[in-house]
Amino acid sequence: MDGQGKEGSSNGANAGGGGGWSDQCDVVARAFVEYYYQTFDTNRAALAALYGQTSMLSFEGHMVGGAEEIGRKLLGLPFEQCRHAVCTVDCQPTPSFPGGILVFVSGNLQLAGEEHQLRFSQMFQLVPNEQGSFFVQNDIFRLNYG
Amino acid sequence: MALPNQQTVDYPSFKLVIVGDGGTGKTTFVKRHLTGEFEKKYEPTIGVEVHPLDFFTNCGKIRFYCWDTAGQEKFGGLRDGYYIHGQCAIIMFDVTSRLTYKNVPTWHRDLCRVCENIPIVLCGNKVDVKNRQVKAKQVTFHRKKNLQYYEVSAKSNYNFEKPFLYLARKLAGDGNLHFVETPALAPPDVTIDLAAQQQHEAELAAAAAQPLPDDDDDLIE
Repeated sequence: MDGQGKEGSSNGANAGGGGGWSDQCDVVARAFVEYYYQTFDTNRAALAALYGQTSMLSFEGHMVGGAEEIGRKLLGLPFEQCRHAVCTVDCQPTPSFPGGILVFVSGNLQLAGEEHQLRFSQMFQLVPNEQGSFFVQNDIFRLNYG
Repeated sequence: MALPNQQTVDYPSFKLVIVGDGGTGKTTFVKRHLTGEFEKKYEPTIGVEVHPLDFFTNCGKIRFYCWDTAGQEKFGGLRDGYYIHGQCAIIMFDVTSRLTYKNVPTWHRDLCRVCENIPIVLCGNKVDVKNRQVKAKQVTFHRKKNLQYYEVSAKSNYNFEKPFLYLARKLAGDGNLHFVETPALAPPDVTIDLAAQQQHEAELAAAAAQPLPDDDDDLIE
């Protein structure tokens, strides 16, 4: 999350090519995903800093907006310990939103005290901020079941 | 309703859905029934563990396929697939946590949206704990919605059979149906102060004779 967005120029359609924005995009996405779930599992209160005033979170169909509300929602989830295990990370640049990255994650989630893992999917829209870093503009989370 | 990989039986069986906030003791409660615990099956695509709970009545055996979540309720409401074809239900709250009682109307609403007119039991669990936050006489939701209410303590087996007996009677349409044998239960992990609990039950009975409080939001503040 440290300044890599500055290099995000406009060759967003360079999908599958060697080097360039597509690779950058992948590097940023993977670094973000690793940081996000590690923070979620060890220091959930710090997640709010990844969002901005215009951010939106849809969490199992419940939508909240703004970093403060999103932080409250995540912190208020009624479980203390959890462990995310990421299975897949896919990402795409968003040419109409220069420098933006769409990230889609699937994985498993183990809650303390629960016998079975839960499967989840999560989508993030990362957008460069004025400091040259990224913030989470959109975040959609779903458990996969039923 | 059994899972596809689960044995079916030739005696009456019913899908029982158990709902309520995370941590209220739903899983602990269903796990007390030992044969159900041995024969339970987990279906990851639905995210549900189904415990077949058999009871022995004067009219023969009856089985409840008890659907228990894998903790999804801690993230939000449950999917319709969890409720669909539910034939009876238990809504559980924790008498040591006001919030879990406050959320009972939401669980009831979600349940009734999919399962119309099924028999429902409200259970206040953890009555073995000394420091109750929801007193027996404060529990009024069941009276507004015509549910049965029982105080239970999963850890001590207190009133374990009561919800199942009520549901069995409703489903059989026989108010005189009774259990003729106790199913094998896990030994109690705690003991309950029976004198104190009898006092609570007396308060509950006294409260039932009082008019309903005038709040229309079904909540305790």
